[in-house]
Amino acid sequence: MAVKQVILLLLTAIVVGLAVNLVSHNRIDFIGGYRDLSGGDGPIIPPDAESGDPPFIDVNLAQFEYSSGTSLFIDATLPEEYECGTIPGSINIPFEQLPDDLEVYFDSVLHGVPKDYPLIVFCTGEECDLSLHLARNLRGFGYTTVSIFFGGAREWERFGLEIERKKPCGQ
Amino acid sequence: MRSVVDNDYLTLVSRLLIGGIFLYASLYKIIDPGTFARSIWFYHVVPGELINLVALILPWLELLCGLAVILGIFYRGAVVWANLMTIAFMVVLLSTIARGLDIDCGCFRAATSATEPAWNAFWFDVGMLVFTVQMLFSRSRRWQLQRGR
Repeated sequence: MAVKQVILLLLTAIVVGLAVNLVSHNRIDFIGGYRDLSGGDGPIIPPDAESGDPPFIDVNLAQFEYSSGTSLFIDATLPEEYECGTIPGSINIPFEQLPDDLEVYFDSVLHGVPKDYPLIVFCTGEECDLSLHLARNLRGFGYTTVSIFFGGAREWERFGLEIERKKPCGQ
Repeated sequence: MRSVVDNDYLTLVSRLLIGGIFLYASLYKIIDPGTFARSIWFYHVVPGELINLVALILPWLELLCGLAVILGIFYRGAVVWANLMTIAFMVVLLSTIARGLDIDCGCFRAATSATEPAWNAFWFDVGMLVFTVQMLFSRSRRWQLQRGR
């Protein structure tokens, strides 16, 4: 009797869970594309990081967020570098070319992005600290869920993840 | 001892407590399965391909068990699941502690890195297990909608 009920409860949960997902506005893929990037050594944290900085995430978590599609990736490098290789689907906010009126600029470039939407800021690699500075600015202007993927596009590529190249560039 | 375990009032308290906890725990997970998937991912115990399926099915199992335990419908099956899930959560929490992962349990809200120790969640589950085991061995069938075994 109990075994029958155990099976019935499980089957009901499977059917209802999958069916509700089909019509939910918070729908997720049935099969996630997450990979376990073993060998990832934890987040890279630059020496000039401060205790109040946005959190640093490693390549494992970055690719998880990328696969789940619930975060916006922001490349802080110059447009020339951005076009040479970036994380697919990311947008470019070049920190070194930010205008004076940052609030208006962020509102225009992140138009329609809620202030609490997860933002993941990165640049080319660990020699580049533009992501750190851009993340600090974003948080200063009210974006509450900012993370820094300090390993950047280079670490992303090193782990065999896809890189989007908008133009061919010399290595 | 037998009369304590079989006590109608104690069994009712266990049903309401455990059923309520499972109901409450299921809600944020059902509303936001993507966030719950992230919580599961933090544990690194479920293969990547299966994370979303677990995130979609487990909360409904919790909800159904919570309702079944409170109402007394499919009672034996729900009590078995309540025990299995509580033990499974404890094993997973112990494994995160053993591996040095410092994460929140994600039981009632999204798990994040390094917030409160997994030990707190583990001891909470130990407390829950006392009540789920009591329900498992109790022969009390009072105040249940579905009579019989």
